[in-house]
Amino acid sequence: MVAATPVEGTQDRRPMSVGQRLSRRFFAILGLGGLAGVVAAWSAGLVRFLFPRILYEPPMNFVAGDPDAYRSGEVETRWQKDHRVWVVREGEELYALIAQCTHLGCTPTWFADEQLFKCPCHGSNFTRAGDPVAGPAPSPLYRASVQRGMDGQLQVNKAISENRPGPRDAAPFVLRLKSGQRGERSA
Amino acid sequence: MAETLETMPVHEDVGQAVTVRRQVATHPVADPAAGADDVHVWPHLVYREFLCALAVVGLLLLLALLFNAPLEDRANPSATPNPAKAAWYFLGLQELLVYFDPWFAGVVLPSLILIGLMMLPYLDLNRGDGPGQVEEPRRLAVPFFSAGLALWFGLILIGQYFRGLSWAWYWPWENWNIPKVTESFTWSFPVWLGLPVVLLYGAAGAWLPARISPRFLRRLGWTRYLIVSVFLTIAAAIPIKILLRLLLNVKYVLKTPWFNL
Amino acid sequence: MMENEEPPKERVVKPQEALEGIEAGKGFQERLIHKVTSSELWRSVIRHGSPALRRNRALTVISNFFLHLHPLSIPRRALAFAHTWCMGGITFLLFLVLTVSGVLLMFYYVPEVGRAYEDMKDLQFAVSFGMLMRNLHRWSAHAMVVAVILHMMRVFYSGAYKPPRQFNWVIGVSLLVLTLLLSFTGYLLPWDQLSLWAITVGANMAGATPLVGYQGPFHELLGARVDNDVRFLLLGGTLVGQNALLRFYVLHCIVLPLVAVLGMAIHFWRVRKDGGISKPL
Ligand code: HEM
Ligand code: FES
Repeated sequence: MVAATPVEGTQDRRPMSVGQRLSRRFFAILGLGGLAGVVAAWSAGLVRFLFPRILYEPPMNFVAGDPDAYRSGEVETRWQKDHRVWVVREGEELYALIAQCTHLGCTPTWFADEQLFKCPCHGSNFTRAGDPVAGPAPSPLYRASVQRGMDGQLQVNKAISENRPGPRDAAPFVLRLKSGQRGERSA
Repeated sequence: MAETLETMPVHEDVGQAVTVRRQVATHPVADPAAGADDVHVWPHLVYREFLCALAVVGLLLLLALLFNAPLEDRANPSATPNPAKAAWYFLGLQELLVYFDPWFAGVVLPSLILIGLMMLPYLDLNRGDGPGQVEEPRRLAVPFFSAGLALWFGLILIGQYFRGLSWAWYWPWENWNIPKVTESFTWSFPVWLGLPVVLLYGAAGAWLPARISPRFLRRLGWTRYLIVSVFLTIAAAIPIKILLRLLLNVKYVLKTPWFNL
Repeated sequence: MMENEEPPKERVVKPQEALEGIEAGKGFQERLIHKVTSSELWRSVIRHGSPALRRNRALTVISNFFLHLHPLSIPRRALAFAHTWCMGGITFLLFLVLTVSGVLLMFYYVPEVGRAYEDMKDLQFAVSFGMLMRNLHRWSAHAMVVAVILHMMRVFYSGAYKPPRQFNWVIGVSLLVLTLLLSFTGYLLPWDQLSLWAITVGANMAGATPLVGYQGPFHELLGARVDNDVRFLLLGGTLVGQNALLRFYVLHCIVLPLVAVLGMAIHFWRVRKDGGISKPL
């Protein structure tokens, strides 16, 4: 593209000079493009601005007493008030359910006579294992990581959680109480 | 009888007179044919508006004196009141969330409703309301809109009066505070059933309106027709799914690894 | 057409005659009124004569900022209450009531999780007429939702969304959304149990948005997590806490009302430009 079209209205047939190439249109496009770029960059920055980088939210972990003190077959609701967690012991296995409906996040209520957690917001029902059996909840309740600390106390950490059958039934989401406490501790 | 601006003597302020004349030139004061039946906004409309405003403000004051705005316990992230009911105007949405997954009931469906409402004037080709035209009966628009409203108000009523502890269904004569035993658990269609059902339903929704009224398709043209039938099909699916859940305890009609319906 | 015609002859009114019907020098009262209303100050503010006189009625409507939303005259039929139920106007009136009562509440309310609830209690029990103001704000909000729905119903059933008014209907739908968003954001501010759980559920719905919500379908594609999705953007955190309260406060008291005012201005302007309100059926 060496031979450029002549500038309209002139008889001049020489190739365009640099000045002619940098026509008004070129500058208009350059200017508008630049403006669009700046606006886009600003918008991106604005969106990023709205995502905080530092949060002041309550801690996710707490100490939940002596794990051996929980009674088998019972749902312990005493941590719900401060930490939103239920601790359940089934035989020699112990797990901590996060008391947050997997539907839209309300706190279900434990009905011991029916052995069901029921959610007050849209009526989801969960079994003691956390599986949804009625209502709209799409997935099982989450289990928090449970470990025995150096002092033998139960350490619950909600930041690490799992609800898929399989992974949720193994360490660290289930704590085995009797068999090999030493092994547990090092895990 | 009716004064027009031209015959009306104006204030002596020249600038004002120019403004008035310009307004007369650019805004025909009213339909010339109906001019004789026109009334001045001041005072006829203005005093009506004033009375209306007085009545409304009076009513509000009365309400505010008689009824106190509710204030429950302090916010507590670890205990939800049971049942937890939203404000009445969001109860329809809360009730829909019982039947559909949140991405659908809470995001896709409200967006579709709003988009559908916004598209309404462009989809409704029954334009008989313009000057000098006789309006045809609005055979689709009115029933569709009314059914939508009825569904919405119906869901609000269910949420308000038929839902009790743990959002279970309570009849008006039952006591909300007595827990209800969950009698049956939900189940879902297997994929081999759900997928054909959904596909057939969608195809039927695209085909039936044209079958019922070929004129409808001819008049709207393909694009509009398809848009309208998609809205009709999705809208009709909502009461169907609600009944499936309420009567047969069906959780999902279609289950896929990515989303459920 | 208009341009070819002789402009209507203008009668020159002498300043002394400006206030028609009241001849200067009648009695003390009349003279005082005349003195005031013919002063430069008065006439720079009020640009029309007394609207008690027929010929000044049109000027009153045109030259008064608040009245100029209206046309000069309207068909007699349009006056019928049954035509509009006054619902658009009532919605606007309720918005004004909400603005005034809301601004007053702001004098006593601090959007801080440790204080918000206590401030509501103070408004109820310690501030003179605080309860009344809170009630007024709350019930007006409910009434506005009722009014805007009724307005939409009347516009629909009277077919008033048809050409040339299609786009004003679209603006109307946005105003409906804004009204509901104002209600939703205001709901969190008392920081009571209703607030918390309504907003928790509402925000989690945002978290279920396909693609950009951390619990929505296909969220893996864009890598949406609890701390980077739309719900996080809305709440300014992973749960309904201080940041969420502040965000909702700013949206409720500043952003949404401003947008709504803009929307309403366009809405009203278009009602006029589309030829006034549609003819009753
Ligand atoms: C903040 C909310 C709103 C306000 C303050 C408002 C106000 C008004 C007012 C004062 C009028 C004049 C006629 C009348 O009073 O009926 C009007 C007309 C109209 N409104 Fe609204 N409106 C709002 C929301 C809506 C909504 C939600 C819709 C529809 C979805 C809508 C659609 C229309 C249309 C199409 C007209 C023209 C009607 C006609 O010419 O007969 N508006 N609006
Ligand atoms: S939040 Fe639990 S059922 Fe909806």
